[in-house]
Amino acid sequence: MSAISIKNLTKVFPIPLRRERIVAVRNLSLDVEPGQVYGLLGPNGSGKSTTMKIVLGLVSPSAGSTHIFGRDSREVESREEVGFLPENPYFYKFLTGVETLHFYGKICGLHGAKLRDRAAELLNLVGLESAADRRLGGYSKGMLQRIGLAQALIQQPRLLVLDEPTAGVDPAGSREIRDLILDFKKRGITVLLCSHLLSQVQEICDRIGILHKGVLVREGQLNDLISIENQTELILEGATPEVLAQIHALLDQSGAHVLAERRPQTTLEKFFLEVTSPKN
Amino acid sequence: MDSPSPAKHVFFSPARVWAIATNTLLELFRLKVFYFLLIFALLLIGSSAFMIEFNFQEQFQLLKDVSLGSMSIFTWLLSVLATAMLIPKDIEDRTLYTILAKPVPRFEYLIGKLLGILLLLLISTIVMSVIFVLALYGRQQYVLAETMRGSVGMTPDQIQENLREVRNATFTWSLIPGIIMIYIKAALCASLTLFISTFASSSIFTIMVSVAIYFIGHLQGIARDYWLGSATTGALPRVFLALVALIFPDFQLFNLVDDIVAGNSISLILFAKTAALGGLYTFIYLLVSYFVFASKEL
Repeated sequence: MSAISIKNLTKVFPIPLRRERIVAVRNLSLDVEPGQVYGLLGPNGSGKSTTMKIVLGLVSPSAGSTHIFGRDSREVESREEVGFLPENPYFYKFLTGVETLHFYGKICGLHGAKLRDRAAELLNLVGLESAADRRLGGYSKGMLQRIGLAQALIQQPRLLVLDEPTAGVDPAGSREIRDLILDFKKRGITVLLCSHLLSQVQEICDRIGILHKGVLVREGQLNDLISIENQTELILEGATPEVLAQIHALLDQSGAHVLAERRPQTTLEKFFLEVTSPKN
Repeated sequence: MDSPSPAKHVFFSPARVWAIATNTLLELFRLKVFYFLLIFALLLIGSSAFMIEFNFQEQFQLLKDVSLGSMSIFTWLLSVLATAMLIPKDIEDRTLYTILAKPVPRFEYLIGKLLGILLLLLISTIVMSVIFVLALYGRQQYVLAETMRGSVGMTPDQIQENLREVRNATFTWSLIPGIIMIYIKAALCASLTLFISTFASSSIFTIMVSVAIYFIGHLQGIARDYWLGSATTGALPRVFLALVALIFPDFQLFNLVDDIVAGNSISLILFAKTAALGGLYTFIYLLVSYFVFASKEL
């Protein structure tokens, strides 16, 4: 059974007082298998958020259907298995971190010592134990995203839906969130991720779908989609000029062409984290 | 991460509703909305300054008028202003997404929000009643002391008679149904405002419409008497008035407290009928809120 199953989904928004209609999603079909990290990509206005909202039952489809672990998304019961972190969430600023988790736990049917233990465990997981008794009004952007992840996990869902989880977060915070998502993956939690940070999507997603103007234009395993069939990349360490000359000679004999030869570079993210790390 | 599984989903969970209601109450409490109670207390203390030149019956009458009138206005303002910000703010901050993405039916969310407001109004009404009773008691003690001072040369029976008169003019049990009716009217206004907020685009719009309906509700009785009393009124105005009377509650019906302060007794039947009408309107507005909110695209 798929974690998410979307079949022939179409969503049309009528424009009030006008005859025009906006087709946000057009005949979309895709499946997210259990344990996968699925990246739903696309430019602004491509229909990603609408698709997420339909999956979560916040918006109703004009045609087609969506199911979560076999349950229709329009049924409230389907949300037993889902945790959701919206883009730029604010939550209730008047609550402290621990009160926030208690509130979301209570509406998921948790209570008493079990709820307290679960909240403490999640605060520890997202690294917010020291800020547990501070009101969310005083939280930084990164801390808000992390408490958002904790509330999404409160009822131990099998599926996490994350809309731009690293939007507006600094590189260190962004990496922490990426590591948390990789940790969820290890625990077998399915993740549906919407993000504009393509480098991050590339690092953590198993499979991606690209939406453009409401239409799924590409879909498949990430490695299959981005690998170039007829090219091979060799990265050597400690190769002397003589060894390189021998390789070049061998390549010339075989008829293969060297398209580029350069020193590998680190990423800007790694470089930034290195120079801003507390050790320096 | 060995953690507990949540309870199996149930169609209606009082625990979920209570969690949302208490969270709503906590939100309003931390927004310091109870500060208006201080204004209420200051108003009662301030009004005492104007009472010295009146006789004691007029003093008690004035204090009851000011107190119960203020209670009525404050609870109405609180019900409209506090309710109007709840749902639009949850939508604007996307907090609503995180709540409804959990296994929470939309009707439970609405009931929880309304229950939170009703608790806030209940606490406010009780606190204002206590302040009112204390102010009335303080005024009574002052008047009793004045009566004793002015009773030189009177017989003990005359003095006792004067003191009894003062006491009888202070507290009457009929004040209680009057205060309950103030609460019921505020609850009805909260439910009406909640309904408007389910389709309104902002808190300001919600407040404006709610205030307009409040005045229509107060004036419709007068309009009805005028138009229906005239033999020349056509069918169209009659249908219009009937529609207005059906959709908007006649808020004048809930002003029993005016009669009570004026010294008229209210029959138990009238009180029960008016309370039931208020409860019915509150329920109907909640029900219509659900129908609008259930199909709302978030």
